[in-house]
Amino acid sequence: MLLVNDLSFYRNKIKIFENLNISISSKQIIQIKGKNGSGKTTFLKLVLKILEPKTGEIFWEGKNIKKNIFDFYNHTTFIMDHNTSSRKITVEDNINYWKGLSSSKLNTDEIFVLLKTLNLEKYYKSKVIYLSSGEVKKLELIRLILEKKKFWILDEPYNHLDDKSIAILNQTFIDHSNNGGMILFASHFNPNIDNLEILDFN
Amino acid sequence: MIILKKILLFLKREFKLFYTNIADLFSNILFFFLSVFVFIFALGSDEQLLRTIGVGVIWSLLLLSSTLSLRKFYEDDFKNGVLIITHMGGMSYELIVLLKIFSHFILVQIPFLASLPIVGIFFNLPTNEIYNLFLTFVIGSLILSCLGSISASMNLLNKTNFSISSIIVLLFSIPVIIFSVGINNAGDNFNSLINLLIGIALIFIGISPWSSAASIRLALKNS
Repeated sequence: MLLVNDLSFYRNKIKIFENLNISISSKQIIQIKGKNGSGKTTFLKLVLKILEPKTGEIFWEGKNIKKNIFDFYNHTTFIMDHNTSSRKITVEDNINYWKGLSSSKLNTDEIFVLLKTLNLEKYYKSKVIYLSSGEVKKLELIRLILEKKKFWILDEPYNHLDDKSIAILNQTFIDHSNNGGMILFASHFNPNIDNLEILDFN
Repeated sequence: MIILKKILLFLKREFKLFYTNIADLFSNILFFFLSVFVFIFALGSDEQLLRTIGVGVIWSLLLLSSTLSLRKFYEDDFKNGVLIITHMGGMSYELIVLLKIFSHFILVQIPFLASLPIVGIFFNLPTNEIYNLFLTFVIGSLILSCLGSISASMNLLNKTNFSISSIIVLLFSIPVIIFSVGINNAGDNFNSLINLLIGIALIFIGISPWSSAASIRLALKNS
């Protein structure tokens, strides 16, 4: 469970947001909405301690993340709005790197099933540079399943995706929340998820 | 044990990325060879002159060649967020910097060693001076890798001024040049100069992870 207490952030003396109090518990799917520049990505980066807040604290499972940052990272997958796959090495190498980083136990067969659902299995041995931007985004989303973490943080996950992939992503979100996971994402898209809670930053 | 596995994984990825960019290395070494040729053609074929200035010229050109590829030190990993997910995978930025310095030292600097004896022949250097060049370059290139890491991390958000990163490296490598070139005329002071060089290398290995990691954190905050 994540608790955000009295969070304020200023960028170059301009107020982005002030006195934000949010709590996210298991089985919740939360979408952050808001106009451009309302601090959606900034909020996600603050939660992940990439940025430092001006005031306020963030707690994960009752512990301040300032002191237990790696404990928090151990339960978190972060999908950025840009792709973390290295373009010059193969899909296989990228997947192996992500797998090793998160000490994932998934075997090759399970990864192939994943790739097949996203229609990427033909690229397994080719370099990422040959994939289209939608396919690279899908490859990035594989990290969600690969890392098997409890808390998913996503920045604009629906960018570049086609209708079929969006349906798969929505289903993945629902399955994850039914298994006790937590999801926090920022997007302008209106996904078709039943128990979606919206956090308005306007 | 898990952290050891992750370190090996990171190095494996670095080697793979290096292997796909192997042309960069060859062009760096080619740049070094060609600049040496240009120097020799400009000076003419006076054997005695070439022998006197040989080590100094080789060291200056090595320095310039190794600053060529510095911009790529962290840039790709920073831009696509690999630094963040590697950090989230349980490695501190300091450890990442140390591994980057190690792989840069092994993959970019050490291949220059193979070219040193050939260049030494062009300048008609005696064997003991080539040996000294070898020894000082192994220590000096480690210092250059550390300096490269510091200057590359300081320039992560700098999109326009390309020469400033080389300026930082050149400025701080002046002591390396002084001791590395001076070692040939040192006589009895040989050991003390080597010790000084090793001392400088140890200082930079000590400070560069912290300063680079601080610069990376700062760059992430402002990106």
